[in-house]
Amino acid sequence: MPELTGKELRVVGFLCNWCSYGGADTAGVARFKQPTDLRIIRVPCSGRVDPLFVVKALLAGADGVLVSGCHPRDCHYTDGNFYARRRLEMLKRLLPFIGIDERRFHYTWVSASEGQKWQQVVTEFTNRLHQIGPLHAKKENEG
Amino acid sequence: MSTEKVKEAIAKILPDVETVICWQGGFDAVHATPCFITKPDEIDKVIWNPLCAQNLTSYLPSLNKKKVGIVVKGCDSRTIIQYLQEGLIDREKVVIIGIPCTGVVSVKKVLKEIGQEPVLDASFSGSGGITVRTAKGEKALSVADVCPDKCRSCQYPTPLVYDHLVGDPITSDKPKESVYQDVREFEAKTLEERKAYWEKELGRCIRCYACRNACPMCICQDSCIAETREPHWISQKLSLQEKFMFHMIHALHLAGRCVECGECDRVCPMDIPVSKIKKKINAEMKELFNYETGVNPDDRPPMFTFNVDEVKIKEHKI
Amino acid sequence: MPDTGYLPKGKIKDFIKELAKDAIVYAPVLEGEAVVFGPFSEEQELCLERPANTPPKSVIYPQSETLFTFEHKKDPEDHQKMSVELKAGIDAPGTVIFGARPCDAKGFIIYDRVFINTDTPDPYYMKRRENTLIVTLSCAAPFSGCFCVAVGGSPASKEGADAMLTELPDGYLIEPVTEKGRAILNKPMIEDGSSRLKDAQQVQQKAHEAVKNPFAKGRPEISPELFDADPFWEQALSKCVSCGACTYLCPTCYCFNITDEQTFGKGERIRSWDACMFFHFTLEASTHNPRPTKFQRFKNRVGHKFVYYPEKYDGAIACCGCGRCIRYCPVSVDISEIVNDLGGGGQKQQTAGSAKND
Repeated sequence: MPELTGKELRVVGFLCNWCSYGGADTAGVARFKQPTDLRIIRVPCSGRVDPLFVVKALLAGADGVLVSGCHPRDCHYTDGNFYARRRLEMLKRLLPFIGIDERRFHYTWVSASEGQKWQQVVTEFTNRLHQIGPLHAKKENEG
Repeated sequence: MSTEKVKEAIAKILPDVETVICWQGGFDAVHATPCFITKPDEIDKVIWNPLCAQNLTSYLPSLNKKKVGIVVKGCDSRTIIQYLQEGLIDREKVVIIGIPCTGVVSVKKVLKEIGQEPVLDASFSGSGGITVRTAKGEKALSVADVCPDKCRSCQYPTPLVYDHLVGDPITSDKPKESVYQDVREFEAKTLEERKAYWEKELGRCIRCYACRNACPMCICQDSCIAETREPHWISQKLSLQEKFMFHMIHALHLAGRCVECGECDRVCPMDIPVSKIKKKINAEMKELFNYETGVNPDDRPPMFTFNVDEVKIKEHKI
Repeated sequence: MPDTGYLPKGKIKDFIKELAKDAIVYAPVLEGEAVVFGPFSEEQELCLERPANTPPKSVIYPQSETLFTFEHKKDPEDHQKMSVELKAGIDAPGTVIFGARPCDAKGFIIYDRVFINTDTPDPYYMKRRENTLIVTLSCAAPFSGCFCVAVGGSPASKEGADAMLTELPDGYLIEPVTEKGRAILNKPMIEDGSSRLKDAQQVQQKAHEAVKNPFAKGRPEISPELFDADPFWEQALSKCVSCGACTYLCPTCYCFNITDEQTFGKGERIRSWDACMFFHFTLEASTHNPRPTKFQRFKNRVGHKFVYYPEKYDGAIACCGCGRCIRYCPVSVDISEIVNDLGGGGQKQQTAGSAKND
């Protein structure tokens, strides 16, 4: 895996196409400043997010994972995020059991108009991750 | 409940079914093995004693086109109920002989007690005792000391579903809190301790998939995503990352479905406590959704459904 | 130099440390309740009382190894031109396998025919094999499921070893088998073993006579009619769950898979163990599978070990009788019982010892 220059961590975000991706877009249009560590993967619905995506990301080199979807009751597909809520809550409680700090995974509900909230979530989550530090040990030859 | 009564029950149902799945003596005195009875003269080899550890229900989904009979202990019957919840078997096609059970033995624990000597003979007293004879002599053990961990917290010694019950029903004398006690104890460790523990235990995994194939609820079998190339979930490399990933796939696909039959622990050739992760998930299912696997055929596994208002799930603040 | 050596029990860790001065030593250590072969270090608990759960085959034939890495490169002058850069290397440091059993060592003999004595020898296996010294420990008594004597082996067989240890009350007799093995007698803590040789031979004889022979005919003999009868396999293998425990733990199994794993322009070609018990073993790209059922797959496994390999290699049986497949099978499928049934079944033979007293 390429070494990260600068001070960024690898943070992966799974955003639902309708609400959260729109919310992130709103934040961008309004030119809100946020840390640039987050790399976004757009999914049709938070219900598409298999808990194993989060686990695979964390094991494969991500330092943190963020999942965001429509608010419950407002899912574009009616009930996708109801399933997501159950799955992701279960995962959140499981991660510390296998030795992964549960602060490395966060799931939230951000609607398309909530640009401000999006900026807040990304900033706070990334800053908290920087406090905890990277998940994977740096290689010896990193300068 | 004696072996004779079990044999009588099998003889009674055999004419109505194509085969009866039960246990017979295994390759040595301390192992039982599944057997598939098709003719009355085969019934003589059937055994029932604390060696009968295998969960025979895992054969049911692949045999569901035939009408079969099966012998189950309390824990095994939970698998059948879970199958019914998920529509994996047709209740009409299974004739169940239930046996109230006071515990089985863990071969690993017996061998540890006798210094890994080959066992020449094993006999059982009705009161929970087992005497094993090796070349070095005899040793008397109690089933309660050498039973697998699942028996120590067994809540359902009597099968929850059956067509014929062999023996008197037994109620559990184990406190409900004992079921997830090992999970709670593990959670008392620090995060670093837990990480180091799993790195050490899972480091020995050889990805033989014995745990997955012996698991009655792992029904994907040949289509398991741990082995697919498209998409490629796990590399063929044998790093800790891949082993961890396999066990997460196994545990997460069993979320809210694992019936805690303990087969995964029993069959692991590397003595890895694989069931711990699944028990943790089950403990959360109980806490969040008040759901217990394999108890009520009308239940819906929690990951298959939802409530519009989840009482126990609060939005997380950073 | 004397012909045999003697290692006092108290000095065994020192001996391993001595061997570790110029090689990586793999010895059986206790992890949880499992005994596995791992690079030996001071903190670990050496466990020689019972055969290891896993055989040491992964030392010379790793479960997964990168054959080479590749990278697709664009020619900077002409972007239409692509080339592939390959980098191969064989990692084969000096190694010692310490404390393997004779059945484990026999596995390497079986691999040598396939990987070395062929028109296309395997350089990866060959290099590791050359750089590995195998020091076995003969068994004092058979373990549950063992049947090495029935397939041409013995708990004190020297086949495949460079040197063999035999346990005596206070130490181990060391018998060198090859010149490479003779060199370990040089180590400072090794005493002269000539006076102990007779005792050791008695221990070896006793162990040999105690091993059970599961074949009514004394050796595996498979009737072609029974072998080809499908109902036999269906009845015998109904309980199999098609995992890979038997194959991965078998000292003589060697089938492998080659996979190219690539991300964008870079990747590696990996060779990893495969198991004929898996559905995917014979799965073809068209999705056709010539062995879709577990019955057919187990039949192939027995066929390979007891029929096809012996046919190809002058009668050598590709099973060492270690019994691991029987001990660790989730449902206790017993390959020796199945092979016995294929020979017509019948009463299992007495052990070699008790048969002599008749």
